[in-house]
Amino acid sequence: MSGATSSADQAEAAARTIYLNQPQQSKFRDNRVSTAKYSVVTFLPRFLYEQIRKAANAFFLFIALLQQIPDVSPTGRYTTLVPLLFILTVAGIKEIIEDYVSIIYLIWETVGDIVKVTNGQHLPADMIIVSSSEPQAMCYIETSNLDGETNLKIRQGLTQTASLQSREDLMKVSGKIECEGPNRHLYDFIGNLRLDGQSPVPIGPDQILLRGAQLRNTQWVLGIVVYTGHDTKLMQNSTKAPLKRSNVEKVTNMQILVLFCILLVMALVSSVGALLWNRTHGEVIWYLEELYVNFGYNLLTFIILYNNLIPISLLVTLEVVKFTQALFINWDIDMYYQETDTPAMARTSNLNEELGQVKYLFSDKTGTLTCNIMNFKKCSIAGVTYGQLPPSTSESCEFDDPRLLQNIESDHPTAAHIQEFLTLLAVCHTVVPERDENTIIYQASSPDEGALVKGAKKLGYIFTGRTPHSVIIDAVSRACVVYSKMVGATRATLTHHCTNLGDSLGKENDIALIIDGQTLKYALSFEVRQCFLDLALSCKAVICCRVSPLQKSEIVDMVKKHVNAITLAIGDGANDVGMIQTAHVGVGISGNEGMQATNSSDYSIAQFSYLEKLLLVHGAWSYNRVTKCILYCFYKNVVLYIIELWFAFVNGFSGQILFERWCIGLYNVIFTALPPFTLGIFERSCTQDSMLRFPQLYKITQNADGFNTRVFWGHCINALIHSIILFWFPLKVLEHGNCFIISNYVVVTVCLKAGLETTAWTKFSHLAVWGSMLLWLVFFGVYSAIWPTIPIAPDMLGQVSFHAWIWERLVSVLSDCSPLAKHTYHKTLLEQVQELETKSKELGKAMLRDSNGKSLNERDHLLKRLGRKTPPSLFRAHSVQQGVPHGYAFSQEEHGVVSQSQVVRSYDTTKQRAGVE
Amino acid sequence: MKNKNSQGAQESPSRCPDNSAFKQQKLPAWKPKLTAPTVLSSFFTIGVFCLLVGICLILYARSVKEIQINYSDICLNCSKLRENSSNWDKECNCSVYFTLQENMLGDVFMYYRLQNFYQNHRRYVLSRSDAQLLGQDVNIQNSNCAPFTIYPNGTPMAPCGAIANSMFNDSIQLFYYLNSSTAIKVPLLKSGNSWWSDKNVKFRNPTSYNLSSAFAGTTRPPYWQKPAYLLDEEDERNNGYINDDFIIWMRVSAFPTFRNLYRHLRHTNQFADGLPAGNYTFHITYNFPVTKFKGEKQVVLSTSTWSGGSNLFLGIAYTVSGAVIVLAGFIITAIHLKLRKKKTYFQR
Repeated sequence: MSGATSSADQAEAAARTIYLNQPQQSKFRDNRVSTAKYSVVTFLPRFLYEQIRKAANAFFLFIALLQQIPDVSPTGRYTTLVPLLFILTVAGIKEIIEDYVSIIYLIWETVGDIVKVTNGQHLPADMIIVSSSEPQAMCYIETSNLDGETNLKIRQGLTQTASLQSREDLMKVSGKIECEGPNRHLYDFIGNLRLDGQSPVPIGPDQILLRGAQLRNTQWVLGIVVYTGHDTKLMQNSTKAPLKRSNVEKVTNMQILVLFCILLVMALVSSVGALLWNRTHGEVIWYLEELYVNFGYNLLTFIILYNNLIPISLLVTLEVVKFTQALFINWDIDMYYQETDTPAMARTSNLNEELGQVKYLFSDKTGTLTCNIMNFKKCSIAGVTYGQLPPSTSESCEFDDPRLLQNIESDHPTAAHIQEFLTLLAVCHTVVPERDENTIIYQASSPDEGALVKGAKKLGYIFTGRTPHSVIIDAVSRACVVYSKMVGATRATLTHHCTNLGDSLGKENDIALIIDGQTLKYALSFEVRQCFLDLALSCKAVICCRVSPLQKSEIVDMVKKHVNAITLAIGDGANDVGMIQTAHVGVGISGNEGMQATNSSDYSIAQFSYLEKLLLVHGAWSYNRVTKCILYCFYKNVVLYIIELWFAFVNGFSGQILFERWCIGLYNVIFTALPPFTLGIFERSCTQDSMLRFPQLYKITQNADGFNTRVFWGHCINALIHSIILFWFPLKVLEHGNCFIISNYVVVTVCLKAGLETTAWTKFSHLAVWGSMLLWLVFFGVYSAIWPTIPIAPDMLGQVSFHAWIWERLVSVLSDCSPLAKHTYHKTLLEQVQELETKSKELGKAMLRDSNGKSLNERDHLLKRLGRKTPPSLFRAHSVQQGVPHGYAFSQEEHGVVSQSQVVRSYDTTKQRAGVE
Repeated sequence: MKNKNSQGAQESPSRCPDNSAFKQQKLPAWKPKLTAPTVLSSFFTIGVFCLLVGICLILYARSVKEIQINYSDICLNCSKLRENSSNWDKECNCSVYFTLQENMLGDVFMYYRLQNFYQNHRRYVLSRSDAQLLGQDVNIQNSNCAPFTIYPNGTPMAPCGAIANSMFNDSIQLFYYLNSSTAIKVPLLKSGNSWWSDKNVKFRNPTSYNLSSAFAGTTRPPYWQKPAYLLDEEDERNNGYINDDFIIWMRVSAFPTFRNLYRHLRHTNQFADGLPAGNYTFHITYNFPVTKFKGEKQVVLSTSTWSGGSNLFLGIAYTVSGAVIVLAGFIITAIHLKLRKKKTYFQR
């Protein structure tokens, strides 16, 4: 969508002419909306372009081309090309599946059609109002899908067409509409209507109904379709969330670069070695004639030889792994919200592991922290508190305190205050009453207002209607009271919230910072920006109230730029879009305030509380899995190719391969392809329950303990040691015969290493680890028997030999021991939790409740190790904030240019509307 | 973009995900328990296992009787002679005396061992034509055999390539001294030493009514003294490309020091049980130059066919790693016990 439409924006800016009740003279896009990236025709070129743009793929393509130079490649001509094609095929299949999943839906309207939409329906295309059930072709729409505003907007058709209400009338109409081409400006529209025999009339934004908006308070409306499908303003506005790359991905790219440098160094060392070796041996080696050395050619040879030091399969493995992880997020039943039938949705799969590293959480308040459903529960009038007592946990949401009404009736000293209070509740708001037969439905732009009005209604102060200059209420005692223009709204909820947040966040000597939009404007100015940031960062919580969308994203941006930490922004409305797109990870709450936030987010969930599972379980798991997968991919390639380097030392730096060429070529794509997948998909360091119960576990991923320079080099050194064992030991032992058998040990060792990395052996892990070894043996057996039937591997013939098995035992034993030892005397919290998990299935329950006995010791032990600074109360299953120590919250902004109250006051609900036709 | 269709809100099926173990990531999984007892016991088990295997291997290696003689040192004259390639047609014989202190019972194998010979050099490894060795009539100029493909006059080499050209061509015979004056030739088998698959699948002679005609139109490689069809005139099934010495040579070694099986003992008469103790001599026709590239040649008699014969390295490696693992096990136990004591101290 992104690139295509923006260019289309310019190209199709040409005005369009639409003929009424006649065939159109130019072709317009149909009303099909597809978010698919490819079509059948564009797939191959676009896909290849996307893939080759990735540095790693370009590198392998370069290697594949190099191999075509005769006599340079030590591994034949196709050993890179074939795996590369294989990998591109896998990536292509993944792309197709992903693209196929993206929703395509059809509504058969075409430009020039006249469409009737009834109350409550969403408009199917952008259209010009012809007439409606209301007088003067008025209609009300709600545009929350477009801009996140929940208030009703008034649109009015042209008076010239307002009378065209019946089928016959409409059939008779002829003329044309001239209007501007499709564009993305929601509040602009220029055009005119030329009905035959009449002078042209201008059409402006007031006459336009936009796709995605919902018809409200209006029985029906007739409209002429002007823009369809991708031409609609909604689609023109739906840009893809900006491409975000995860921290892990950046680090990985860096490490690939490091490996590339190592590769160059290895190739250089080998080439220099070849130069020296030929200088000393070239003369005397009678069995090798015409030993010419070209340094450049040699360098190329060695680059080809060592090229797979950079794991060819890493990128595609990661893509598939992350795609599956995203599916797991979508499939999670704990994050499915029954009431709105909304499952969680990962809209991107490349930020999964980022969810495991979030340090700063930015949350919108209204609709996000508070779920936008408000009830009048308590009040305090003249010092007397009414309503339920605090400890009540019952789910009844209603205000239920008879004392209030009793006090009015019994002429309590505060009776006047109570009446005043209730009257104000019923009067001071921007709510529009909508009558549906005998019941009144309140259309409130903000739910707190609705709650207050409903509360007042329950207590007998019924708000029944409003005119531009008055508000009508039915009160208990008096029949009808008309209040004229009264102003006064209260917003005491905020202070309440801040104490709440302080309670749950303020652990030590913590404080919360509250700042409003006006002040924030100065705080964000250049001079004091750093000071403000320092102050904000020293607080456990920062609450910014009444801030604009821009300020929200500015704050996120500031933290993102100045603090080296991952930020997450969560919100539900159009005003959160900026911050959602700015933050490293954007989460949208779906289902309440329209699609805007969801559409720009990376992950969408239906409830704020699901964030806990998204971060603590999916985030942490994904991080663990992805990093293990990456490190393992590095490991297995370093092992194999450092062996080649060692081999160069004993073969005169000639570039000879130790393993048969196809064994190397398929090593990455077949023999050791499955273990990374199982590590990346099924690995579970701890069970879901423990992840949620011990939020400290999140710190491990948050601090990138599993993936940093140290760990990377650790794995490289581990691989180095393994390669030394794997090469130099057999060299010492096997003096006769040849050593192609080493590849046996490599595959087995590498698979066993995957087994060691695995902490949860599902059936798939077993399949991958043992299956890979088996596959290798089968391949080895078949491959070594097929020559000369299929002329590819003469060297392999008859290689099946079992005297190597003893070796494998030793080698694998050696590689096994170090991590085992590590586990015993250096236990991390993670390992202790794992240990606990194995000890009792009902993790924690007994341990936490018992105040004596062994379980307490375990707990103390646990605390002493890692929870040094955190008190035991943390061990209660708690909300997500504990995992995320710093937070920001936003309260929703009051609407800007035209205030809600102004719009509302233009309503006159006492007037009768035109009836249904 | 999950917009709901304008009408279908009610009819659309629930989007509630399946509650299956796979989708909810609750697949049963075996979690290796890495508690102190399990880790320690596995350490000790593995350590003891390694120690046992190591000791077995050492014992086995020591039981292997092996004698290894560096004849490129002993036959210094011949070595010198061969350094100059212009002397290629001068024959050089050399005898190497040695005494077996103990009987070598069972199967006895004779190897030649080369040091510093880079059979694993890439150009060398590539320089062969597998199609030719399969007996196929191929144009070897398209193969990798260069520069050993054809002579300037256009005659192709059979077999072609650097590997074949540099074939080990010393002949070694073993004599046993019944007494100080009479020596008898020890019967050694020259076939049956190669892998079955090599002998029967990978190497084939070109077909014709007899072998020499099959090789008609080709010439021996430049460093050979006789053509391929005369490699073993006595045994038709060991001649030409399917000559065992040739096959074994063609299977290149991965390391610059290697030994290739040359002969094995035929159990007859005095040698029914193996080689008896006593005095022996190797009669060597020295053709293969090694001193030029600072290499060495050995002849080896051994009773073992695998794991490098009397090579103690494997056994020692096992023993050492076993010992290290057991030691580590003890250290870890000590640390574990110490930490546990500390912990209980804290709690009081």
